[in-house]
Amino acid sequence: MKQTHSKIRPLFISLSVFLFLSLTGCWSSHEIEEQSLGIGLAFDKGKQSSIEKKLNEQGGGYSKRNLITATYQFITPLVASSTTKQAGPQQKSYVNVSESGDSFHQMVREISLRSEQPVTAHHMKVVVISESLAKSYKLEQLLDQNFRESEVRPSCLVLISKGRASKTLETKKAGEIPAFRLAGIVENAYRSTRILPPMSHIKVESKIKSGSSFLLQNVLSANGQVKFAGAAVIDGKTHKMTGFLNEEELEGVTWITGKGKGGVVKSFYKETGQLIVYEIETMKSRIIPRVKGNNISFDVNIESVGRLSENWVLSGNTFKNEFLKKAEKSSEKEVKRLVRNVLEKMQKEYKVDVAGFGNRLRIENPKVWKKVKKDWDQTFSETPINYNVKLTINDYGTSGGSKK
Amino acid sequence: MILSPKDKITTPQAAVIVINFILGTGLLTLPRSSTEKVHTPDVWISVILGGAIAIIAGVIMVKLSQQFPEKTFYQYINDIVGKWVGRLLSLVVICYFLTTSGFQLRAMAEVIKYLLLEGTPTWAIIMIFMWVSLYLIIGGINPIARLFEIILPLTVILFLVVTFMSIKIFEIDNLRPVLGEGIIPVLKGVKTTALAFSGPEIMLLLLPFMNQPKKAVKALIVGVSIPLIFYVITVVMVIGALSVDGVVMRTWPTLDLIRSFEISGLIFERFESLLLVVWIMQIFATFTITYYAAALGLAQLSKKSIHPFMFGLLPILYIIAMIPRNINDLFKQGDFVGNMALFLFGLLPLLLLIISRIKGGKYETNT
Repeated sequence: MKQTHSKIRPLFISLSVFLFLSLTGCWSSHEIEEQSLGIGLAFDKGKQSSIEKKLNEQGGGYSKRNLITATYQFITPLVASSTTKQAGPQQKSYVNVSESGDSFHQMVREISLRSEQPVTAHHMKVVVISESLAKSYKLEQLLDQNFRESEVRPSCLVLISKGRASKTLETKKAGEIPAFRLAGIVENAYRSTRILPPMSHIKVESKIKSGSSFLLQNVLSANGQVKFAGAAVIDGKTHKMTGFLNEEELEGVTWITGKGKGGVVKSFYKETGQLIVYEIETMKSRIIPRVKGNNISFDVNIESVGRLSENWVLSGNTFKNEFLKKAEKSSEKEVKRLVRNVLEKMQKEYKVDVAGFGNRLRIENPKVWKKVKKDWDQTFSETPINYNVKLTINDYGTSGGSKK
Repeated sequence: MILSPKDKITTPQAAVIVINFILGTGLLTLPRSSTEKVHTPDVWISVILGGAIAIIAGVIMVKLSQQFPEKTFYQYINDIVGKWVGRLLSLVVICYFLTTSGFQLRAMAEVIKYLLLEGTPTWAIIMIFMWVSLYLIIGGINPIARLFEIILPLTVILFLVVTFMSIKIFEIDNLRPVLGEGIIPVLKGVKTTALAFSGPEIMLLLLPFMNQPKKAVKALIVGVSIPLIFYVITVVMVIGALSVDGVVMRTWPTLDLIRSFEISGLIFERFESLLLVVWIMQIFATFTITYYAAALGLAQLSKKSIHPFMFGLLPILYIIAMIPRNINDLFKQGDFVGNMALFLFGLLPLLLLIISRIKGGKYETNT
């Protein structure tokens, strides 16, 4: 045994020295300092930027149709480091680059011809699609490249913009990064019922596959500012945007689904016509499908507990339960109005189910669902829906009594 | 080949080997492959049924092996069906282990190439993997068992932590209704899920290495139950987050589950690397044990030392791993391996057991 060991030892030593060579690093390493991190993406109808036009005038360009303009927002290490160091007037901490063309992947690669730092999409936070594009192309076509490749994470959010999507990726505030701003607003769902639960790529993909209609958050922009305003309706059959719910209608959907985490209900006190604001603490909704033969109907029971957060009714005495009861009634009426409003819109105007009625039917009556699944949106538009709203005020803050 | 007395493993070690063998590629692909067949959210029931079938098949194999507690499958099969048929069957089993081995190798390389090391050539990934594995199996069954004992707790902890973090995007509605379309769709998925449990067959070879062969059934049941729990958790969490319609769209659904959320505030925001660590370790375990099983088979067939076979199998494994031209071919290879397992370890052991029982206690006098 000893002998073989002494023979093998030099071999092992030379092998371990040789292995040091492989320790020099990763096979395909790219320094992070030399990459630009893509964080936001906006898809618009094709419209060449002035830079692109000038480049094309000098003979740039390749064979393509300018159907789509993609705007990439990225943080370059150069910019990122300069913002941390600089004490004086701050620079923009992001760079937007627009490319027009017909293939998304080709457009990204075109950027490598314009910048020394290739774009990586590992940190992509949000994709904004403009209304005009969402109305003319299927969503799965627009997002196919993102679904497919390994860089864009399935957790990346999808938004719709009624205006030009690239504008939502702009800001005038120094130091603010527009893509992070958009992703951050989604997190504010506990403050308002007008924000949809986050729709990431993976959720969008499964919605598309399931063939049911759904909503995507809409975002507006003006002068470098943005606002989440309502939602775009994506049709389950065409996978294109077919309509739009405004902020109040979106609020109604949130009440029906019961997925809201917080927000307020403003209503007017019946007797005096003055303002009462109800703040939601918890929200619960049960959609109960009722099937009798071929007739399907739904009962929606909405329950919520909250507090009286603003009271303009001078005569109202919050120490008295009668007043609180009346305040509850007043808020309930407002919620009912919101629900009625959006149901009408869904059933009469767009004829789509985006509030999850079909999903409840699937769960409670799978056999019935199998029959009506194919033409669900049409069936839904003729389905009677009853709704009950019950709000409970259990708190009115630190100021009580009547103001008179 | 003569077994040295040191080459003995305890009952828990045997269970650990079975667990590590079972957990492999299936961890990442099972939610899709089974949902494709079932198409309702009841996949988890199929998984439980599949596990039960695997336990039954495993018990049959153990009972068969317990008739010859001193011998491995390659040795005692000759006693049951004669020399020539026995050799042929042994060769088929060896082929099965080799193909499984190559399949795991390639699946691992594909995922690593897609997610971690984009520019690294496949051969570089595969070779390092094979060399490390060779180094391990040269030591025999005992080092393998001990390494697996280290891998297992890491797997359990990391896997559970990472999977339960996805609770943020979990929606119970995606798992309902239970049995909405009856039991038929569930049964359609049982074959797929049962094949995800291929691994108990190692008991055919493991028994003579065990210091208490009588407890083999216990080791087997524990060995299958733990992967069963893992698989059920995986399927429930993946379908809960991605929904039935979403799962069938993804190539590697479990990985996409972990990629679908980010948690800020912890040290890491993204956890797919942790899942990949677990998964690569498990693939390594599966690869190593099948590699060893194939080498052991060749050694016992030819009655020569095992070491030359270990080295000799390296290029063969590499070629098997490189045969599939693309990922669809790879999945087809996986199906092929599965069908082979169905025959070899579902039907054959039962037949052999019956034959050996009919022949009765003849062997005891022979040996």
